[in-house]
Amino acid sequence: MTPAQNMLTFLSRQAVTAATPMILAGVGELVGELSGVINIGIEGTMLMGCIAAYTVTGVSGHGTVGLLAAMAAGMVMAVIFAATSVWGRADQIVAGTAMDLLGVGLSGMIWMMYQNWRENLGFSTALPRGSGFSAVPIPVLHDIAYLGPVLFDQYALCYITIGLCVVIWWVLRRTRLGLIIRALGDAPEACHAAGVRVRLGRSLCLLFAGACSGAAGAYLSIMQTHAFASDMTGGEGFVVLALVIFGRWKLPGLIGGCLFFGLINSLQQTLQTARYTSQNAALHALTHVPFQFFQMLPYLAAIMALAIMSRKAPGPRYINVPWPEVKT
Amino acid sequence: MIKRFLANIWNAVSAVALAALVCAAVLALAIGAGALLGYPPIHLADLWLRGAAGSWYALSSSCADACPLLLTGLAAGVAFRAGVLNIGAQGQFLLGALVAVALSTRMMIFHQAELVIPTALIGGAVAGGLWGLIAQYLERYRSVPVVLSTILLNFVALYLAQAALQGPLQAVGTAAAQSPEVAGKYWLPLFVPYTDFHIGIILALVLAILLWVLQEYNLFGFEARVVGLNPGTAKAMKMPVTIRQFQIMFISGACAGLGGAIQLLGQVHFMTAHMGNYGYAGIAVALLGRLNPLGIILSALFFGFLDTGAFRVEESSLALPHDMANVIKAVVILVMLVLAGLSLRRARRAGRYAAEPSTPPMRESTL
Repeated sequence: MTPAQNMLTFLSRQAVTAATPMILAGVGELVGELSGVINIGIEGTMLMGCIAAYTVTGVSGHGTVGLLAAMAAGMVMAVIFAATSVWGRADQIVAGTAMDLLGVGLSGMIWMMYQNWRENLGFSTALPRGSGFSAVPIPVLHDIAYLGPVLFDQYALCYITIGLCVVIWWVLRRTRLGLIIRALGDAPEACHAAGVRVRLGRSLCLLFAGACSGAAGAYLSIMQTHAFASDMTGGEGFVVLALVIFGRWKLPGLIGGCLFFGLINSLQQTLQTARYTSQNAALHALTHVPFQFFQMLPYLAAIMALAIMSRKAPGPRYINVPWPEVKT
Repeated sequence: MIKRFLANIWNAVSAVALAALVCAAVLALAIGAGALLGYPPIHLADLWLRGAAGSWYALSSSCADACPLLLTGLAAGVAFRAGVLNIGAQGQFLLGALVAVALSTRMMIFHQAELVIPTALIGGAVAGGLWGLIAQYLERYRSVPVVLSTILLNFVALYLAQAALQGPLQAVGTAAAQSPEVAGKYWLPLFVPYTDFHIGIILALVLAILLWVLQEYNLFGFEARVVGLNPGTAKAMKMPVTIRQFQIMFISGACAGLGGAIQLLGQVHFMTAHMGNYGYAGIAVALLGRLNPLGIILSALFFGFLDTGAFRVEESSLALPHDMANVIKAVVILVMLVLAGLSLRRARRAGRYAAEPSTPPMRESTL
């Protein structure tokens, strides 16, 4: 392989690794929004997933248990959100902001208490050895040129995410269930008339979204980094929110957006180091650029892409409208 | 006129009275939960209250913490009222602080405090406002939703600030992203000596009242509200929709930027990129205050007291994490929301019309 090919493979692999949690959380958010509920607080839910996965893995020593705990934590957050915004008729933007605060606060609190507790017991707060996940190459497939390392040498959750995307895409496009989900957000009256319980349906969509966001949090804490820090999601939840709109509430668009974001991100990380080591004069000249401008690149690229494509999609019609609608 | 004025005040007060009640209940629950976890309840409550309002100094630091929250809250409130979903107060806040620190440490034309302080504050406000205008421009001419671009611009602002703080604005003798300290004579003067009561607090209060008057008793405010509620109607009424939206965005961004500048010159005196999550918290403040500037004053104070008390509890021997404050805020907001939803429903069942919406009108507008 030539160095250029090597580089391309490396970049793509990094992009997929970085995009996986965003896609996972994004799929959940997409389903939620299609059913008519926008959740601004994915950031908080992801943080709860991070801390739940980390602490439970730390105590039990099994990453899988941690992952399940993260999904459960995400679902608990979803229950609270559904109780207030779907059943309690609260404004979804406000409730979502509160859920974000709740996630940030609770995860920070639990983290401090966990540290105290482990230290008092005389244990380290690091994950027990071998309990965090590492990448699982798939036996035969990972030898395929390019595609192998990019798609088949990832964490197990990445494969699950790919599978989930295919399933959800199929469900949304081809099945009655998908039609119902979209109708919940576009024509709840019709759903009601057809005997579908609107609030129950929306709550179930939110539960699914919560499990997804929780799992995405677990990906960050027990797979990608094997560590926890307060606010470790660093705004990724908000980026996901943006990418759902970016993809015009379509799954392929969302995935494309996440991959694009991940690619620019891995590109900028590589450029940051490459400019010091490279012999290429043009690359070397970049050493004078502050590294923060590289970090800024994915966000700038996203804005540029949006500005150039210049398109606006209406989105689900009944987003942020509680059911049953009260006529004034 | 007087009747409407009183009704207006009553609206804000009743909202906050309810908030206070809910808050008391939640605090009691929290302290109960603390007791279950082994934290002595009376001692905890005592520490919390003393930390937030036990002395002049504690009181002043609560108010000083509420000040940036008030300004970012106003930023969110003003914009949401007009249907401009500005989530970018965080970035505008940071840029405001950045420009203020530049104008008061490195890029000084004058050296008199009477000139440096106003330039820094105005510069910060203008920077925040202009940063907001980028998002509004993208919305109007490139069809990029404001919600989206402001979120993304927050990160751009963050890295821009970090680059400046590790570049031209970096303090001498440090490797961290940190600006030099602002010289003492350029700090915002205190109106009660030996406390944190700086004049930025008064400035913020005056601004809140001005915005309230603008919103309630002025054609501009009326037009802004109509634009928010239904741009179609506004257009049919020959209102300058685009101009109003740009103006509102500038005011909103300027509030956040001023918040950053005031926080810098009044409270922290040197800048790092971690100046707190005031921008995001401002959204919660605005929504708890029902987008009414007077309500926002009270909800910002509430947030400030809660936070300051929580930090004192964390510093004490109890070492209860201060994130507790965030949890309490979240629970208060959620409970308030459900209560509001229920009362709205009752009112409508009884055939009364509900008050005007206190949350951003989303359906017709930006998303």
